[in-house]
Amino acid sequence: MLCSMYATNMSRNSEEPVFNQIEQVRSSLGLSRQELADLVGVHYQTIGYLERGEYSPSLVLALRISNALNKEVSELFSLTEPKEGKN
Amino acid sequence: MSKKNKIYWSLGVTEKGTRALLTDENSKFKWLRSQRNRRLIVILEMFGILAVALGSYLPILEIGIFNLDNGTDLIIFSVSAIWVILLTLGCYSLLRIAVRGIADAPDELLDERQIQVRDTSFRYAYLSMGYLVIALLLLMFFGPELQLFQPEGNDGSYLMIATLFAFASAPSMILAWREKDI
Repeated sequence: MLCSMYATNMSRNSEEPVFNQIEQVRSSLGLSRQELADLVGVHYQTIGYLERGEYSPSLVLALRISNALNKEVSELFSLTEPKEGKN
Repeated sequence: MSKKNKIYWSLGVTEKGTRALLTDENSKFKWLRSQRNRRLIVILEMFGILAVALGSYLPILEIGIFNLDNGTDLIIFSVSAIWVILLTLGCYSLLRIAVRGIADAPDELLDERQIQVRDTSFRYAYLSMGYLVIALLLLMFFGPELQLFQPEGNDGSYLMIATLFAFASAPSMILAWREKDI
């Protein structure tokens, strides 16, 4: 139990991953992580964790990110892995 | 951000100081923030806390390091103890910088993920401190019979200082150990 306490799994829900295309859309718009973080009001590390799928955002944050990137939430986030090349 | 530097008395931090840590204003501490270096600091801090705790017991360990009846040994022991405490405090300061002060920051200065990791680290710190208290209670109950306890004149103050260090630094240590590199 002590070992599991100190494991590095930080995902909100490790059994059901949430996939996202934040990095791809952000890069296509020429935004840095810091710039996107400033737009949505979070730390740039949080954007990094989101992009790596190691943190699932709240609904409010997901909506802020989709507004900032001018996309719908369903275009950015999904429960199934997106197909390559699909925007 | 308001012009006044708000002080969060219950947390012992200021708004400006916390924001400076969170926004990485001082780039000279960048090297501290890799997971490897953070974990090294955690290990150093733990050794420091253990060394301070041993200050209550070293005089009675039968390995002939210090004889507190000898004036010279007493001075060496006392000076060494002060240095160990100062180094442990220094490690704690580095630890706070390494985790950007998240463990000690108020909600209004953190984003939702940082609040979550802070609260998780406090939960695990609470559990760890629970185990520590149980171990200390067992030591108190059984120590005298097993002749483990401090000699006459030793008030266990180093053990108390070590326990305070452990309580103060546990959330930051857990946060520093668990956070991944981004």
